[in-house]
Amino acid sequence: MADGGQVAHAWDRQRILSLFDPGSGVLDRRVMSDEAIYQLELERIFARGWNFMCHESQLKNPGDYFISYIGEDQVIVVRDEEGRVNVLLNTCRHRGNALCRAEQGRAKSFVCSYHGWNYALDGRLIGVPGQTAYYHGDIDRSRLGLAKARVDSHLGFHFATLDQEAPPLHDYLGDVGRIGLGMVCAYGDVEVAAGIQKNVIDCNWKVAVDNLFDWYHVAYSHASASTAGFLDIARILHPKNQMVMLGEYGHAIGGPGIPEDMQAQIDRLTDDEREAMSRAAPPNSPRIRPRKATELMGPVGVRSQGHPNLFPNLWITLGGLQMCLRLPRGPSKTELWWFTFLPKDAPPEVKRTMMGLANHAFGPAGLLEQDDGENWSQSTRATRGVASRKLGQQISMGLGHGEVTVGAAGERFIEGPISEQGQRWLYRAWTEWMAASDWADLKRNHAPPPAGML
Amino acid sequence: MTSLPEQVLLQYEVEQFLYAEAALLDARNYQAWLDLLADDIHYWMPIRRTVTISDLDMEFTKPGDMAYFDDNRQLLEMRVLKLEAGSAWSEDPPSRSRHFVSNVRILEVAGDEITVEACFHLYRSRLNSEENNWIGRRVDVLRRTGGSFLLARRSLFLDQTVILSTNMSTIF
Repeated sequence: MADGGQVAHAWDRQRILSLFDPGSGVLDRRVMSDEAIYQLELERIFARGWNFMCHESQLKNPGDYFISYIGEDQVIVVRDEEGRVNVLLNTCRHRGNALCRAEQGRAKSFVCSYHGWNYALDGRLIGVPGQTAYYHGDIDRSRLGLAKARVDSHLGFHFATLDQEAPPLHDYLGDVGRIGLGMVCAYGDVEVAAGIQKNVIDCNWKVAVDNLFDWYHVAYSHASASTAGFLDIARILHPKNQMVMLGEYGHAIGGPGIPEDMQAQIDRLTDDEREAMSRAAPPNSPRIRPRKATELMGPVGVRSQGHPNLFPNLWITLGGLQMCLRLPRGPSKTELWWFTFLPKDAPPEVKRTMMGLANHAFGPAGLLEQDDGENWSQSTRATRGVASRKLGQQISMGLGHGEVTVGAAGERFIEGPISEQGQRWLYRAWTEWMAASDWADLKRNHAPPPAGML
Repeated sequence: MTSLPEQVLLQYEVEQFLYAEAALLDARNYQAWLDLLADDIHYWMPIRRTVTISDLDMEFTKPGDMAYFDDNRQLLEMRVLKLEAGSAWSEDPPSRSRHFVSNVRILEVAGDEITVEACFHLYRSRLNSEENNWIGRRVDVLRRTGGSFLLARRSLFLDQTVILSTNMSTIF
């Protein structure tokens, strides 16, 4: 993608790299509120990376569409008559009007409400009113189809990018991204539960992403959910048994991990024995994953009970039950979309229990999520004051105490108590993405997940 | 067929109940509010979608789909416990709320249960500068018990599709 010259000039490579110091864990607060930085993020992160669009179960039939976003570019994700999934920029080539104003539905074609230009489900311009009478036949429809994003999918999850140079999705995701999507499918093939919760929080999108790696806030921020008896935080937190997995291009997983010896015991159990143990466990305990999960997630990934983030903005939570997409809406505004995934073969009562947990934990009325938004918006607000924004965010927890283990398949992970390793990995990758002028530059100038002490 | 004076009396009783209930919430008297709920209450706010006229059957999620609220009495008691926990940070300092109820229409009287439709406007002022307006249609089922009612069902059909607020930590 071409860069907006002025912004890239104002924030040259050295200035961008200086915004986060991995050696001290200090982050410049301006990354949360500066308009020029935000514009550069739209180009160098969102337009460049692979963005989650939707799941295949949302597009069952030709004509089924779902509106999504690549940064602030609104796109139509639609299945065409040939069964292919297209991601089309939702802007008429004539005057730019949005073709589709609904958020999902079924269409035979997309007709612009302004002058009636008509586009096929694959984006071809198939009708222009007055083509002969007014345009005198001078319009070349073949050159005026809807702009298309590149589309790729993994395990039924559709992604799109605006950058022709982006690596294939499989390579982009790397082991950590694929573990994250594998987590969603760990109990079997999934489909999206009807209803995607959407709400807007006055925070920078990175404050929300930072928070998903943050198991330090859980006990304090969410104390009232414990007091109210919604869930026993002490039982899910495992503050000393945490595992952070580091992936290429900024993907990471952070949160509770199953110790290796405990996983070895699980590995010896049949699927039926695992289910029986899960049923006997207290409510809201993580359900033990079946054998097949190890194929999807690998021997290290399957030990994670934490939160994957697929860089930049796709959080996977509740053991893979939900995904939360954090869509940027300006430096100080983020739209959150909650997708809930249910195993197709699960009995109805199991699905009801899973949906109940999703409904009551997260989303704007969720007993956990309610308390996050205000912390995030107030943290963002404080990055705008002249004096406040100079203070720097402290992201130093566990710095120098994390020993990176290299797994048999090259997995890089850190086990130990709660730390801010995941957040440091996020911001380190963020500076690399922001400093690189294009994919070739990013491929050359990014740190692969390291070994040794972090 | 009930007589007009009977209809007027019922309308008056129902409206007074709804106003009293709203006043309890605005006064943050949550324990007294819980006393107005039937043990089998279902409190539900489906997700609304922006759809074309031809897809209006998809406008709301259905019962059993995902929702913003899909609560029984136990969940509502948890919400109240949370509000009173002293650590519900999104409500401390507490929000200032005003529950408006209007356009009250009695849709059905079946035995001791009365189905009531109303428009609601829940205004929330929070901290120094945050404002939220949640407006929609509500369908309540009131159950007559002794001289008053219990709320047996509440369905909230919000007019927003993307919720334009940080959270919904207020009881509707």
